[in-house]
Amino acid sequence: MNIVVLVKQVPNTHDVRIDPKTGNLIREGVESIINPEDRHALEAALGIKDRLGAEITALTMGPPQAIEVICEAVATGADRGILLSDKAFAGADTWATSTALGLAIKRIGEFDIILAGRQAIDGDTAQIGPQVAEFLGIPQLTYVRDLEVLEGKITAERVLEDGCERIEAPFPVLLTVLAALNEPRHPTVAGMLRSASERAPIEVWNAADIGAKALDVGFLGSLTQVTRTFTPKEARNTRHLEGSPGSVAAQLIQCLQEQGIRLGE
Amino acid sequence: MNKIATPIPEDLIRKMFRRFTEEEIIPRAREMDEANEFPRWMFEKVARTGAYGIRYSPRVGGGGGNTTQFCVMVEELARGSMSVAAFTAMQCLMGTNFLYEYGTPDHHERLFKPAIRGEKVASFALTEADAATDLAGVKTIARQDGDEWIINGSKTWITNAPCADFFTVLCQTDKSKGLRGLNFFLIERGTPGLYVSKKFDKLGTRATEISELAFTDVRVPFENRLGKEGQGVSNLMRMLGVIRAMTAALSLGLARAAYEHAARYAMERTQFGKKIGSFQLVQQKIANMATEIWASQLMVYKVTEMIDRGERPLKEASMAKYFASEVACRAADEATRVFGAYSYSMEYDVQRFYRDCRFLLFGGGTSEILQTIISRECGVF
Ligand SMILES: Cc1cc2nc3c(=O)[nH]c(=O)nc-3n(C[C@H](O)[C@H](O)[C@H](O)COP(=O)(O)OP(=O)(O)OC[C@H]3O[C@@H](n4cnc5c(N)ncnc54)[C@H](O)[C@@H]3O)c2cc1C
Ligand SMILES: Cc1cc2nc3c(=O)[nH]c(=O)nc-3n(C[C@H](O)[C@H](O)[C@H](O)COP(=O)(O)OP(=O)(O)OC[C@H]3O[C@@H](n4cnc5c(N)ncnc54)[C@H](O)[C@@H]3O)c2cc1C
Repeated sequence: MNIVVLVKQVPNTHDVRIDPKTGNLIREGVESIINPEDRHALEAALGIKDRLGAEITALTMGPPQAIEVICEAVATGADRGILLSDKAFAGADTWATSTALGLAIKRIGEFDIILAGRQAIDGDTAQIGPQVAEFLGIPQLTYVRDLEVLEGKITAERVLEDGCERIEAPFPVLLTVLAALNEPRHPTVAGMLRSASERAPIEVWNAADIGAKALDVGFLGSLTQVTRTFTPKEARNTRHLEGSPGSVAAQLIQCLQEQGIRLGE
Repeated sequence: MNKIATPIPEDLIRKMFRRFTEEEIIPRAREMDEANEFPRWMFEKVARTGAYGIRYSPRVGGGGGNTTQFCVMVEELARGSMSVAAFTAMQCLMGTNFLYEYGTPDHHERLFKPAIRGEKVASFALTEADAATDLAGVKTIARQDGDEWIINGSKTWITNAPCADFFTVLCQTDKSKGLRGLNFFLIERGTPGLYVSKKFDKLGTRATEISELAFTDVRVPFENRLGKEGQGVSNLMRMLGVIRAMTAALSLGLARAAYEHAARYAMERTQFGKKIGSFQLVQQKIANMATEIWASQLMVYKVTEMIDRGERPLKEASMAKYFASEVACRAADEATRVFGAYSYSMEYDVQRFYRDCRFLLFGGGTSEILQTIISRECGVF
């Protein structure tokens, strides 16, 4: 069985700061990490490999330093890793990102399962998984919190707004997963030292390697453009109520009523 | 296809073990300390990262890492729990090194490889009631009898003794030869005549277990002498730089933890209507901690770099261990002052740093003996 895991390098949003003047993320001094849900996608792949055997390829698109998340995936048990990196990929929106990832998957060759996180903690769109599935013309199972792989098909439990559903799909199939799916293992020391060495089974591909035309990927291949980013102003109007508990409660109720908030009968 | 620089291995190890510590150790550190026993489940969790094999060749199932990478790893673990870092260090280095270098293929298969997989616990026994700083005072005797050794004597303060599966034990084979009569022996748990005392009740590193060992006519096969006759101490000396660098790295991890807690608290706690971090005397503590931690870090990783180049920087390793362990104690002390009464509460971690740091002063040589060594290296003795 061949499994491709999509992993993305993201800024650790524990310490994300926004430049109030430009509205851009301050990336200096911010640690980069693997997108948290992608660790669960990788763990799902490793779990399948443990039970049934599989060849796992970790794939990312990003700047040169994104090789770190590929090293991490290989150190954790992926058999090989591919970094898509090229100036031509820069400025990609989710459409152009999905196109590049989809072309790379075609170049990888035969696959049975593609696993991705549901959503990246920076871009936050949750579009990549579904768009890659559409690009490849294969079924997609999103919001997966439980899965079972049987002969030639997969059964997954999807979380919906008002419950969940169990559905089945044939291979090849793409899944986007939630953190509830599993508990990710840690990379091994031997794996880390191997993945950060010359012997690492890691390749770097550029646009030509995946047969991408300049107009299909990166800024030029993007259907959307960011015209402005800004931090919404939070205008807070704090009022301190004073007095005895009884009078504070009465004032509070009056304030809420003035705001048109219904408090029941 | 183009080429891109891969990450620096020690950076990757630091990052991954920092995350391991934050996800797995820190949330359970207090609980482990309070339980006051060896957390085998944590020992096994650490094992699954392959940590115990970091220094050993991939040929025997190790990671093939160097001293810098080993020290980075234990530093990060020590930031979460000195106990976990201490039993990891024991398993990576002192407890397994002699078996790796001088054990038979059978020792390797039966004990060494399972130890680095975390299936067997290792231990290292030098100290005796009257032989601690002064190893020449070792009185445990190994006498050859045909193709066996008969061992008699006792050891004390032995980390992991209550739970260990095998021990590397320093014994005297020829009293007249002094230090040249000392050799290491492998003794397995369950060998008749080996007695393990009940565990000590102690101030810190309470999630490690320590006890005494007593040997009464313990018989082991001839090949259980680990190393050539009379080379026990010189073999130990070859490892001593690594032991000291490692103890310095443990110290650095603890100092960072104390510093981080103090710095955070200084910006949270208010008195006189202000953050206590706005008072210059509190700032002085933070500044001193940060400065000394940086100095420790430079020393530790300079020493490991020298070791990795094949040098034997005993003087520098002694300086690094002496300095970093004292810095850890000062940082833990200062952190308790920043926390005030809350450092006296068992609900905050600072009290644990304050207790655990004391261990760093003794293992790997006391500050006093290290100063003596450094001065001798400086030509003043
Ligand atoms: C209009 C627009 C313009 C943009 N312009 C730029 C720009 O100029 N420069 C720039 O740097 N970014 C830009 N981005 C951001 C970038 O396109 C997205 O971060 C990227 O497409 C992934 O989307 P996401 O982060 O929302 O991922 P999601 O769809 O939320 O991610 C879901 C999952 O998809 C997978 N995945 C996502 N991204 C990757 C990846 N790169 N490699 C492998 N797997 C992945 C992961 O498994 C992840 O968990 C832009 C985004 C938009 C919407
Ligand atoms: C938590 C912990 C774990 C340990 N684990 C192990 C273990 O696994 N295996 C093991 O073998 N041992 C272990 N030890 C023992 C440790 O190695 C000894 O504590 C250390 O060797 C110092 O011996 P001592 O504490 O008996 O001090 P002593 O040697 O009795 O020294 C007492 C005091 O006298 C000073 N002193 C001694 N000689 C001189 C001198 N020449 N000049 C100046 N001052 C001097 C010392 O610096 C110290 O201040 C452990 C100890 C602790 C606390």
